[in-house]
Amino acid sequence: MESFELFMNSYFLWRDPMIVGAVAGAVCGFLGVYVVLRRIIFVSAALTQISSLGVALAFFLGASTTGALATLVHPFILSIALTVLAALFFALKRDFSRISAEGVIGFGFLLASGAVVILGDRIAQGAHDIANILFGSAVVVDPKDVYIIPAAALGVFLIHRVLYKDFMFVSFDEDSARLFKYPVRLLNTVLLVSIAVMVAVCTRALGALPVFAFLALPPLTALFLTERLKLVFALSVMLGVLSAALGYFFSFILSTPTGATMTVCAALFFMIGLAWREIKIS
Amino acid sequence: MSYLIKLDEVTIGYDKNGILGPIDLTIDRGRFWGVIGPNGGGKSTLLKTVLDLIPPVSGTVQTQAGLAFGYVPQKDKFDPIFPVSVDELVTMGRYSRIPPGRRPGKADRERVRQAMNMTGIIHLKNRTFRSLSEGEKQRALLARAIAGEPDILVLDEPTASVDVKGEARIMELVRNIKHEQGLTVIMVSHYLNTLTQHADMMMLIDKDRSLFEAGTKEKMMNSVSVTGFFGLNPIEAPVE
Repeated sequence: MESFELFMNSYFLWRDPMIVGAVAGAVCGFLGVYVVLRRIIFVSAALTQISSLGVALAFFLGASTTGALATLVHPFILSIALTVLAALFFALKRDFSRISAEGVIGFGFLLASGAVVILGDRIAQGAHDIANILFGSAVVVDPKDVYIIPAAALGVFLIHRVLYKDFMFVSFDEDSARLFKYPVRLLNTVLLVSIAVMVAVCTRALGALPVFAFLALPPLTALFLTERLKLVFALSVMLGVLSAALGYFFSFILSTPTGATMTVCAALFFMIGLAWREIKIS
Repeated sequence: MSYLIKLDEVTIGYDKNGILGPIDLTIDRGRFWGVIGPNGGGKSTLLKTVLDLIPPVSGTVQTQAGLAFGYVPQKDKFDPIFPVSVDELVTMGRYSRIPPGRRPGKADRERVRQAMNMTGIIHLKNRTFRSLSEGEKQRALLARAIAGEPDILVLDEPTASVDVKGEARIMELVRNIKHEQGLTVIMVSHYLNTLTQHADMMMLIDKDRSLFEAGTKEKMMNSVSVTGFFGLNPIEAPVE
């Protein structure tokens, strides 16, 4: 009770990170439904790592860059640029010299993960900053993120509101979409780029681990709880928000790492969902 | 242009690797084509080439301008992870007439309802597609195909894994829809008996024997290729 009072009295401390976390949880929960249904969870893992690489690379280059070039190596810009490029590559390139698409995605994930650690070893801020990028640092956030992340989320929601039918059609039955002359490649690219943009924006604020968790666990949990597609989206958004908010709360009162606590909260919801499903079908 | 689809010297295959050809074929309006051949014989590749889902390795596929297809793919093609309802599935058949960025309107929903009524699945509309029986799935896919008001219905193994009663019901539906709506039908099936009862034209395809033959049912049932393939004596085909 005392901890709760302390938490409530510290409103000025957690308001911004809570807003950022909740919006990130909502939008990643929403986009994650496509990630899970299309069975591209590994793509989202690779994108979060590549986004982290963008942030680490910006730290590394920032130390030795001045003037106009310094703007270009801003973590925000570099992270989005690298993640969107990777998403475009995954969306547009289908033939990988007889290597499966999963193999190339795994290559991207491992290369980015290794490069982040190497860059972390070389930058002045050191290992602590890199750990924050990878595992989540949302104790405090950049004040600009309170505007950037909701604005990006609003843009993505608007695109998805207009193209919901089309994204679901190409995800469920690509052959029929081609038969009906839908621009399948363009729709797949827009969908993946919208995921990439939110991954990049959210990873810089929260870290790779919670963003990956929000893309995978709330949608999987929602699929345990309902058989209705539109309700899967609604539940996944709610679970993303709850995981972020409760994760932040417990991180605050238990003094645990924020990103990891958000991830564990999402995982607990997943276990509850799984138990519910098992009870229901038994 | 009197034909709906015309294949000229077409070689079918994937990634520029031809598996069978050259194929010359003309599909005219109102015909019921049966496609037979062994597993992995190239039937689905031919269908996908006709549907323009994969390009021919060589040759040309010409289709009448504005031709609308209704496609019933193999039901196992759909990933069961999607909790898509029957209503949502059948509505997708209507997307041939609804461009990207637009939503189904009142007329579309009415057409979807009619298609579900016609195939006897209106009572299943809120169920998920993945929870249906094999026969119900095929009827839902048939409803989806006709919801788009097609000129030509293309069915890939619509009676596979369906019991005898279910098969009879599906074939009766296909025949009724064909007659009521004046459709052209192309149907792949393993069951020669099913095809000879309903088709008036047949094609046999077997890439491993570099074999493609097409013609009237009567001609094909007496063809050495067909009788040899099914181990039959040449007989007069059953009359509908």
